[in-house]
Amino acid sequence: MDKNYIISALLNIIILLILPFFTIGIIKKTKAFFAGRKGVSIFQPLWDFLRLFKKGQVISNTTSQIFKIAPVVVFATTLFAGLFAPMIGCYSIIEIEGAFVIFSYILGLGKFFSLIAAMDTGSSFEGMGASREACFTTIIEPAFFIILASFIALNGNLTFKSLTGLLNASGGFGVLIIALSVVSLFIMLIVECARVPFDDPTTHLELTMVHEVMILDNSGIDLGILTWSAGMKMIILASLITNLIIPSSLPFGLSILAYILSIVFIALIIGVIESAIARFRMSHVFEFVFIMSSLALVVASLAVVKIYGV
Amino acid sequence: MENYFIGVLLLLCAAIFSLLFKKQELKLKFITIMALIASGFCVYDAISVFIYGKAEQIFNMGYIFQNARFSLDYLSAFFVVFISVMTSLALIYSNGYLKQYINKGKDLSAHCVFLPLLLASMLGVVAVQNALLFIIIWELMSLSSFFLVIFENDKKEVIQAGVKYLVFMHVSVVFIILLFAILSINSSSLDFVQFSEVLKNNMTLANVAFILAFIGFGIKAGFVPFHNWLPDAHPAAPSHVSGIMSGVMIKTGIYGILRILALIGIPCAQLGYFVLIISVISALYGVLYAIGQHDLKRLLAYHSIENIGIIGIGIGIGMLGLVYNAPLVALLGFGGGILHILNHSIFKELLFLAAGSVYVKTHTRDIELLGGLIKKMPYSAILFLTGSIAICGLPPFNGFVSEFMIYFGMLKGLSVNNLFMLLVMLLGLSGLALVGTLAVLCFTKAFSIVFLGEARSEKAKNVENDNGCSFILPMSILACFSLLIGLFPKQIFDFITKPASIFINITELNQITSLMSAISCVAIALILTVLVLYLIKIKIQNKTDKYSTWGCGYNKVTSKMEYSASSYAEPFISMLTPLFKKVSDIKKPKTIFPKDAHWEQHIEDVEEAYFIKPVMEHIEKFFAGFEKLQNGNIQQYIMYGLIFLFISLVCVVAIG
Repeated sequence: MDKNYIISALLNIIILLILPFFTIGIIKKTKAFFAGRKGVSIFQPLWDFLRLFKKGQVISNTTSQIFKIAPVVVFATTLFAGLFAPMIGCYSIIEIEGAFVIFSYILGLGKFFSLIAAMDTGSSFEGMGASREACFTTIIEPAFFIILASFIALNGNLTFKSLTGLLNASGGFGVLIIALSVVSLFIMLIVECARVPFDDPTTHLELTMVHEVMILDNSGIDLGILTWSAGMKMIILASLITNLIIPSSLPFGLSILAYILSIVFIALIIGVIESAIARFRMSHVFEFVFIMSSLALVVASLAVVKIYGV
Repeated sequence: MENYFIGVLLLLCAAIFSLLFKKQELKLKFITIMALIASGFCVYDAISVFIYGKAEQIFNMGYIFQNARFSLDYLSAFFVVFISVMTSLALIYSNGYLKQYINKGKDLSAHCVFLPLLLASMLGVVAVQNALLFIIIWELMSLSSFFLVIFENDKKEVIQAGVKYLVFMHVSVVFIILLFAILSINSSSLDFVQFSEVLKNNMTLANVAFILAFIGFGIKAGFVPFHNWLPDAHPAAPSHVSGIMSGVMIKTGIYGILRILALIGIPCAQLGYFVLIISVISALYGVLYAIGQHDLKRLLAYHSIENIGIIGIGIGIGMLGLVYNAPLVALLGFGGGILHILNHSIFKELLFLAAGSVYVKTHTRDIELLGGLIKKMPYSAILFLTGSIAICGLPPFNGFVSEFMIYFGMLKGLSVNNLFMLLVMLLGLSGLALVGTLAVLCFTKAFSIVFLGEARSEKAKNVENDNGCSFILPMSILACFSLLIGLFPKQIFDFITKPASIFINITELNQITSLMSAISCVAIALILTVLVLYLIKIKIQNKTDKYSTWGCGYNKVTSKMEYSASSYAEPFISMLTPLFKKVSDIKKPKTIFPKDAHWEQHIEDVEEAYFIKPVMEHIEKFFAGFEKLQNGNIQQYIMYGLIFLFISLVCVVAIG
């Protein structure tokens, strides 16, 4: 077995479980910097998480077992999706053909449970969040499939490895395709991880929220698990983007460094965006999400043109 | 093959002898037991086909029918297995479900005749290889299902739905008769094998035959734009009949298409594109309309259209794989499609039965009146949840396996060196992904509005306990099937390659079988992880308090403030306004002290609203002109009939 594979598999697991806290820390630090504050330490999210684990919790009378098992399902599915996602040096722990389909469907299972758990509370706030989240997913997911399918058509590789290698192989055209894909995957990251301008993780105005409002009733250990999973999801989606950018020809040692740096860089960008623009109004959020679909179509048409000439 | 005939004969006997019983419960028990025994015989033969190969039996039936050939090849055997098993489970369920009607003093004689008859005719359709017999058995199937649909014949809307179904089925049969007429004229035979020889040598004939078959059988299966009978007939029928119809009977339409395709061999490319695009449209149409429905069974009926679309996508990919000589793509397409036939029948029947279980307790199908049932009907709730996850195609249940095969076929198809193929595969991939997410939207809605939250009406509040064993047992078996296929896709893949080998036969499948084993490991590991983590969570969590749901400090939340099904679907429906026809019933609050206000919205099928209704109105207007011919005199009507016969005789003589 490939030695690099084993190393990267071990690192992937560690990164997947630990790095989420630090990326959230970095985002907070960046926002504090732009607001002219000193900000909390980047370890704070980790301490918060540990504190939540120790706390007791309050559960609504209306809820059933679904509400209790859902956080665990969300966590497990995110973790399993992480096993398929390409991380350091584009190695993923489980590398099989058609991985991105399994990846999205496993995440879909988590989403299914987070939606019904939100509805389980019988709260109209959480219903609203669930309804919006379900609606936005219908726009995001097909676009994601189109982008990944375009890369597979270009590279002929059915694993997640199809994301890499385009940068050095196909000149200006490849750069264009990659740039557009990076932007649209970044939009996906913002939507899926509920960041500004799509959603605001720090707000308390329920009426405008999407993802955050779905977990209003979760507290204690459940809330801890859910924030952890959300952070993991961010790492997973950020890894897809980093693998698009990092050239596949890098030596393995360097690619570890490049991977970590890119994740940090993506966290910084998220922080900058959150400091620079406000959250969009709900009607504008739709427009924002549709950008991803349009970009995906452009990527697909570029890929078709690239394969069959003009 | 003998056991198969014994099974069918047993069913026919059950249909006749059920009339001898006086007590309604006994009638039902009798046909259930007979059906179980008959299914045992049929499944035994079908399984021996899988082990020893094709079985065949020819009866010489004289001049008209010529040689009536019955044969069980892999495809027929596959259908025999799932038709027998699924229908038997629904019959077990009917024992509990029909109790409410028996208590009301309803006579079940007709129902008990037609249920075994439907099963027998479905078993017949998939085995008979003679065109004329096929049409007769097909017609028997349509008629017996019609009588099952109009079970509650004292309700006006049930009769209307039943008549609509009957009309659609007869339009369908016209195309099927036309198809077989053309084929038998060209081959001067009624046997499918002779048809195949003609079809393989004549491309134009093959294309015409396939289009006719696709329309004729497509009406039965429910492809858009021939789907219109489904959303009316399924809610009208009792739940076990809806389960049989949606889960099993509409698949005979798919069987017809597959059979004609098997006779044709390699179709032309345009047909493959046609099937694929129609199927993507069907899948999207079905799920889009399902989202707007508040009638639980109507919602499920629209999902049948969606799943028929997914099956069609698989078949379309298979056809394109054949055309472009990509055997792996063809195998994955056909295999995925055929597996989805099985999968859909499992989870759709499960969902219909669970919906029926809710209906028995609450006497309403309107999900806006339900809610909070998970606490009172935990088993039904969990089983419905299983079906919901499976129908969304999510792991670790069976829907994922077949959808993954179809996806994988499309991904393999991307590298077939053809521009149109690439474009269509991209369309299929994004379409199927969209269908998947829409199904998630729809079933999170359906499940959570029916089972979660607080009860939205007295009907839901007054439910006391879950249904008994005859309800839970068949549903649990279906749920187990669903989970087992999801957990062991490799074994099921080996099984499914046999019916798919009718179309394409390849033996080098290591790549896919290892992939299936990987999926199997992941699915099992996922379940175990969830269980272990849940136990750990229970162990380490600190004290838990119970309190009312967070309402921004407002604690007197009532069920009226909950999110309803309409509001859950609203962002999505309003995003796609042009695709729907919304019919609103508004009564605004008036005067200074308003007494009552009311708002209700329905989503009407655009095909029905903008095509079928106007066309029917025109036809009605046209035929209203002939009313003058009517004078109520029967002798005169017989005269008209004789005049018509005479004219047709003259025409036949003149032409012939």
